[in-house]
Amino acid sequence: MTLEKLLSYEWGIMAPEFTILIVATLLSLIDLFMPAKASRRPLALFGLLGVVIAIVFAVFQIGEPTTSILFDTYRFDSFALAFKLLFLVATGLILVLAMDYEGQHNWQYRGEFFYLLLTALLGAMMMASSADLITLFVGLELLSISSYILAGVRKTNLQSNEAAFKYVVNGGIATAITLFGMSYVYGLTGTTNLYGIAEGLTSPIVEQNKFLLLMAFVMLLVGLSFKIAAAPFHMWAPDVYQGSPTPVTTFLSVVSKTAGFALILKIFLISFLSVQGWHNTVVLDLQPYIAFVAGVTMIVGNVIALRQRNIKRMLAYSSIAHAGYVLVPFVSLSLLVFKATWFYLLAYLLMNIGAFAVIQFVTEREKSEDMTAFSGLYARSPFVAVMMSVFIISLAGLPFTAGFIGKFGIFMSALGTGHYVLASVMVATTVVSYVYYFNVLVHMYFRKGILERIRPSIGMLVVMIVCAVGTIAFGVYPAAALEFFHNGFDMSQLFVK
Amino acid sequence: MNPIIWIIPALPLLSFVLLLLFGRRLKEASALVGSLLTFGSLILSLVIFAGQWGGESVKATMEWLAIGDTVLTVGYLVNPLNALMLVIVSLVSFLVQVYSRGYMHKDERFPIFFAYLGLFTFAMLGLVISPNLLQLYIFWELVGVGSFLLIGYYFYKRDAREAAKKAFIMTRIGDVGLFIGMILLFWQVGSFELDIIFDAVSGGDISEGWITLTAILIFVGAIGKSGQFPLHTWLPDAMEGPTPVSALIHAATMVAAGVYLVAAMFPLFEASETAMTTVAVVGGFTAIFAATIGLAQADIKRVLAYSTVSQLGYMMLALGSSGYVAGIFHLTTHAFFKALLFLAAGSVIHAVHTQNIHEMGGLWKKMKWTAPLFLIGAMAISGVPLLSGFFSKDEILASTYADGRYGLFWIAVVAAFLTAFYMFRLFFLVFTGESRSSDKKLKVHESPGVMVFPMVVLGILAIVAGYINTPMSTLLGDYLAQNQYLDIHHHETHWWIPVVATGVSFLGIFMAWLVYAKKKVARLSESAPDFHYILLNKYFIDETYDYSFVKGTRGFSYLWYYVDRFVVEGIVQLVASVVSWFSKIGSKVHNGQVQIYGSVAFAGMAILLLIVAWLGGYLT
Repeated sequence: MTLEKLLSYEWGIMAPEFTILIVATLLSLIDLFMPAKASRRPLALFGLLGVVIAIVFAVFQIGEPTTSILFDTYRFDSFALAFKLLFLVATGLILVLAMDYEGQHNWQYRGEFFYLLLTALLGAMMMASSADLITLFVGLELLSISSYILAGVRKTNLQSNEAAFKYVVNGGIATAITLFGMSYVYGLTGTTNLYGIAEGLTSPIVEQNKFLLLMAFVMLLVGLSFKIAAAPFHMWAPDVYQGSPTPVTTFLSVVSKTAGFALILKIFLISFLSVQGWHNTVVLDLQPYIAFVAGVTMIVGNVIALRQRNIKRMLAYSSIAHAGYVLVPFVSLSLLVFKATWFYLLAYLLMNIGAFAVIQFVTEREKSEDMTAFSGLYARSPFVAVMMSVFIISLAGLPFTAGFIGKFGIFMSALGTGHYVLASVMVATTVVSYVYYFNVLVHMYFRKGILERIRPSIGMLVVMIVCAVGTIAFGVYPAAALEFFHNGFDMSQLFVK
Repeated sequence: MNPIIWIIPALPLLSFVLLLLFGRRLKEASALVGSLLTFGSLILSLVIFAGQWGGESVKATMEWLAIGDTVLTVGYLVNPLNALMLVIVSLVSFLVQVYSRGYMHKDERFPIFFAYLGLFTFAMLGLVISPNLLQLYIFWELVGVGSFLLIGYYFYKRDAREAAKKAFIMTRIGDVGLFIGMILLFWQVGSFELDIIFDAVSGGDISEGWITLTAILIFVGAIGKSGQFPLHTWLPDAMEGPTPVSALIHAATMVAAGVYLVAAMFPLFEASETAMTTVAVVGGFTAIFAATIGLAQADIKRVLAYSTVSQLGYMMLALGSSGYVAGIFHLTTHAFFKALLFLAAGSVIHAVHTQNIHEMGGLWKKMKWTAPLFLIGAMAISGVPLLSGFFSKDEILASTYADGRYGLFWIAVVAAFLTAFYMFRLFFLVFTGESRSSDKKLKVHESPGVMVFPMVVLGILAIVAGYINTPMSTLLGDYLAQNQYLDIHHHETHWWIPVVATGVSFLGIFMAWLVYAKKKVARLSESAPDFHYILLNKYFIDETYDYSFVKGTRGFSYLWYYVDRFVVEGIVQLVASVVSWFSKIGSKVHNGQVQIYGSVAFAGMAILLLIVAWLGGYLT
């Protein structure tokens, strides 16, 4: 590759990525030269600034035509942008949480906490934009490895160490399975480019070896289910979520999971649908497996959550269940899949970050992650209790919240395409979920706790309010988000090389 | 005027949010916040109401959700009926909040009470301006939630908890009917919008059978909410809530929602003779049925509760007899005099600390304001001429007669007699004679001004509200007739109907006077003890439910218990042991056995791959 060629690429499409990269690099350098005892709080502010600048770049990119660079391995399109915006907004909110976490704890992480969040974010963004299995994999690993360290960032905390260790081992297994699946796909089609794979799949040789192809995709599905914490690769999630620092848990349950969905959507939709259209037989063959995974995930997540006393662990199972819900539109496979998935992920982002913000606030003051930490919260801080109620109601999927609209949309897409079993599983498990969600409400309002008043910091307040307002606003007037998505993002771009 | 309409329900919602967040700091100033915001709603409602005289119906919607080709909308609809309801709801809610300032004084959870009132008012206001069934249904459920919270306000009392649960479950039974009706209508018409449904009905796009079915299902919802037979049992129990709540729920809001629903869906009902007859018969039966129970109750609030059930029956009877105006008219006047009666009863309870009328008596001299106000309310509900109840009841009787339902007409006349009788039984027992209180030292005080003021306002309304629609001037009728989907016809007036109504009303009062003030005639409990016993026990409806449904279900469950024990349990045991086996593994995993996680993932993958292979026929 000549320098000329290199310079001729439209690097502008990577502006948000570059911003994050530069900020992360600078942060690590500044951290290196800062006095050991100095507060690392300004680093977080700097990181936040970087995220905001990246958001601005990304917003200006809305409506830009599809561009691909670096021999079609990296691609800018509406799909990538829509997901990048989610990653950026979520990471921004999480950085604010992380800042507050520093205020409460004295652990020695020397700033790596902040720039590792950014490198993980960078990995997620790469995953959204890649058009090649190799770059996808690099993005995936960048995200994963950063997350492994983040999970164990409280070096002296045994739980945190355990979390990190389990995360690494499981991640390794998942990566191996994913790579194995990818190697089959490569072997069958002779290319790693997603669009090339799509074309390659039409060849008669592949048709004859459909079995191998299905196996390859099932392995990919299993490997990638690790990232979204869906069955059968969900078991790490409760331990890791419980052991990690709360901002990291939030990151894992929101950004990392959303990136996983972006990846799955991308690999499966492009390689199957861009050439052969919606009625490809392989897609139809694969549908039952995804439906199976979705159903099992919903059941496992919601049923086991019932027994949890640790609030972070409970939300971990709840997030497993939510992964099951998000897989549902994927089964129904229509153009609505993007709208439904994106909206659900947006709602999930808001309500989950909000809920974790409250959890971080409460558990740190109580020094306990048990459900009883929430007892009598309404008496101690009515504001926080009301905020938590909004998030819980949304997570449970009741009307006037974004969670309801998201779930309703998914439910309708399943009904509309005749997946009645899956729709019923969804309804049944949702009903089950009411029990453990409302348990939190009962604790907050009807149980007596200590009566000492507690007050959240400004940063916490901002995160809670932003999330609650978003949750309610998109619940009352979802058209705001859906119009934005509809007008700004043309998802059919994904299928045009 | 468009933005105003949104603000009307938004203000009580704001009150709810504010009080929930800052109630602790506001303490008893919460009442001020709640009342002022609701007063704002009242003023705006009056503006809307004024604009509806001769004005056009206003409907505005915006897209809420688009699923495939189906677009769901939210918005508001203002027509004469809705505007009238806005005024009634916000007015009564405002007065109740002012009253509660005095009644709930020194209650520990004072701000929460007002927050709930705000939520409830919001739900009810949102309900009456809903332009489509889906939105209506959401608010309908929200009203249910609000009533649950309010009835169960004294949640530390077992009865209150039970009553709240009962109210919620009983109305939920009705709601299922409404929900199915709504879905069926959507299936038939393809829209939840009321006007589209009405167009389809009048255009003959739905068959007669479907209209009847959906109308009756929707009426089932109304039966639940409005406490009609056989789903009425929650309503008297709901008296466990604080008295201002009873006034709010029973006068203008929750129970009126059922009547409102039938009125709002009137074009649908009108299209089916069967549905109309169902409404009329259920209404007429409830009217007399509840009135007889009211004869024997000893709890002042329960008497009023059964009277509410009975009066709601009247309204349904009117609607079922094509008496649209009569039904709404009675809804309006009833809202005022029933709120008045409840608030006055609350004032009495506040003074004597008991709800048992046999322990009251002789309060006329001691409660200079409450007693005459209660008398006004009692006279209004009994249909004493020139008070509001007289005109509206007369209108109902007239429209029932004009519709040719002579049997129901005479039932309604008898119910009117019973109403006058039990209301004045209440009046004479509570206010005249000597005090029968067991606590001789009890000093009875008139309630504070903040409680008297709302009663005075309602007292005036209970007198004058009737003049909006007299045989001479059909003001309300003309106003309500400005609805393109309604065909309101004036029926001819029979001079003898008001005479009969007046006659039975005075007869009832006279009888009550003979029995309870003069004590010339033996009481029901002495002259017909068996009948009295039946009435006292409310026809054993609760017991019937208990024996048929609850015990039946329990018996059924015993049957299943044995099936379960010997058949299912074996399987369950197996499953349970598998689960516990898993949980054992889970706990091992906590000790660091991360291998298990990997094994599960591999096992999962292996299963999936096996299925692939098996389905693909590669294993054979």
